[in-house]
Amino acid sequence: MTIENVGALVDDRPSDGWFSVDRAAFTDEALFEREIRHIFEGGWVFLGMDSQAAEKHSYFTVTIGHTPIVVMRDGEGTLGAFVNACPHKGALICHRRTGKGRLHVCRYHSWSFDSAGRNVAVKGMNAGAYSEEFIGRDRNLPRLPAFANYRGFLFGSLVPTCPIEEHLGEARRLLDLSADQGEGGLELVPGEIVFTFDGNWKYQLENCSDAYHFTSAHPSYIRLLDKRAKERRAESVRSIWEKDKNWSEEAEGITGGSYSFDEGHVLNWGLIGVSDAVPLFERAEILAERYGAARRDWMFNMRNLTIFPNLQLAENASSQLRIIRPLAANKTEMRTFCIAPRGESAEARRQRIRNYEDFFNPTGMATPDDTVSYEDCQAGNANRLQSWAYGYCRGATASVTGGNAFSDLLEMNPARSVLGDAMLCDETLYHSYYRAWLARMEAGAARETQDA
Amino acid sequence: MLDLAEVTALITREAMLLDRRCWREWLDLYSEDSVFWMPAWLDEDTTTSDPDAELSHIYYKGRHNLEDRVWRATSGMSVASDILARVCHQVTNIIVEGPDSATAAFCSHIYEPKRQRQRSLFGRYDYQFVSQAGELRIAAKTITLMNDRIETVADFYMV
Repeated sequence: MTIENVGALVDDRPSDGWFSVDRAAFTDEALFEREIRHIFEGGWVFLGMDSQAAEKHSYFTVTIGHTPIVVMRDGEGTLGAFVNACPHKGALICHRRTGKGRLHVCRYHSWSFDSAGRNVAVKGMNAGAYSEEFIGRDRNLPRLPAFANYRGFLFGSLVPTCPIEEHLGEARRLLDLSADQGEGGLELVPGEIVFTFDGNWKYQLENCSDAYHFTSAHPSYIRLLDKRAKERRAESVRSIWEKDKNWSEEAEGITGGSYSFDEGHVLNWGLIGVSDAVPLFERAEILAERYGAARRDWMFNMRNLTIFPNLQLAENASSQLRIIRPLAANKTEMRTFCIAPRGESAEARRQRIRNYEDFFNPTGMATPDDTVSYEDCQAGNANRLQSWAYGYCRGATASVTGGNAFSDLLEMNPARSVLGDAMLCDETLYHSYYRAWLARMEAGAARETQDA
Repeated sequence: MLDLAEVTALITREAMLLDRRCWREWLDLYSEDSVFWMPAWLDEDTTTSDPDAELSHIYYKGRHNLEDRVWRATSGMSVASDILARVCHQVTNIIVEGPDSATAAFCSHIYEPKRQRQRSLFGRYDYQFVSQAGELRIAAKTITLMNDRIETVADFYMV
């Protein structure tokens, strides 16, 4: 099928209590290429943490859409983001996931670049009989039109765009909440886990924010947590859900909810007490002194944050940073890291890592039950007989404009919020994803028309 | 030194028991306090080496953890395991390296009937053995997974 009007893929009628996304948004290959151009190569995306290039002349590589990117720290200590391709023939300049070098010599024809992306030599320049036109041209690695470091989180854009604070909006308070947990912010635990699934990237976008699937998709994991809690073996680490089961169908009263922000960022969250089953407990007092008890308590809550379109911070069973990289309409790559407060004790770190592996890894006991379900959805969403998906309507009558008493504690003003018990499992937060998705798709199309 | 024939018999028997889904017999090859470890990669050339400070794909101390994994895979409560993949482990290059250690190369061929999709996982095993009641048991197994961009899932029985 050819999709002429992207707007027709999102049926956004909150006043009628209806929101839906056409299943073609998950399966159409031509649409996917437009997503790459307009969403990933057409605005702010997350690149990595500044700690991935901590030292002078160090770098890490990443991809925006189809475009290879290198983030480098120069000799002055300043970070820059560049297209990781030689202006000469396009060969990659930096070859490793992370590395270090004052000078990067292209392995193909030896053009060389310093760690600020400047072309410092063209092999045989004088003997090359080059024209004045060539000599006068900028041969540096192309610098990204927008690049920003927000509290250690690095973002870049292949098109000129708004300031990062504007893009993050009120959701930046949730990045602050994570960054404030450690002395000197957050760090990535050494060891990167990469996996793929044969499904569209937007399943991952939604699943992070999906409270509804937890007890359905992960009963084997939940049973084993219960078993371990009863056994209390000395070498087993504790689960943060040992005391507060905010997802449990038996939980009563308000257990959490969701916040939606402009630009497509969303949070789903659940109340977790300041419990010694949480690795952060060792800092409970100092965090309360520094930030007040209310902000400290929020740091202990279960939180799943998406910064649209490709960053997810999941602080639940453990703490994960995910970068979503779409490869095709039906294939997605996930780069995942355990993210942790700097300076935490060895025992807290061990607990964090053990819980991480069991829950988040593709070799673990929960994530495969998600990714296999995405693949099942990819198969089922070929369905054109019933093209509108029904997964965007829970919480329709509970969603309100603005925040609530819990967001007030963070002085945070979301666009919309939902507060509820464990069984509410809001789905209206996804609306924010698709409104931002549509806005970028339409802005991108307008840009292309203008350029044409 | 360990007897190569005895070690080879144990390592190849482990592969066969996994492939035949003889879970109880497979678990019995491990000592009660055994370590089952698949490190992650730090960079292109180096795996993580300190499981308490660095990330692993899998790190378990204690056979009971493997028993939990077997329970999960066969519980019917995990959609990822609901239709188990068919696996054929090929283990080769077995070398005794020390008084209680040996190494081997492996390649697991994996077929997922539900997706009609096939792939392989390959790398190296490093074993530590312990003799218990006259029987050689696995005290530690370290799996160095070479192709670590994992396609959807790599469960314990696939590596």
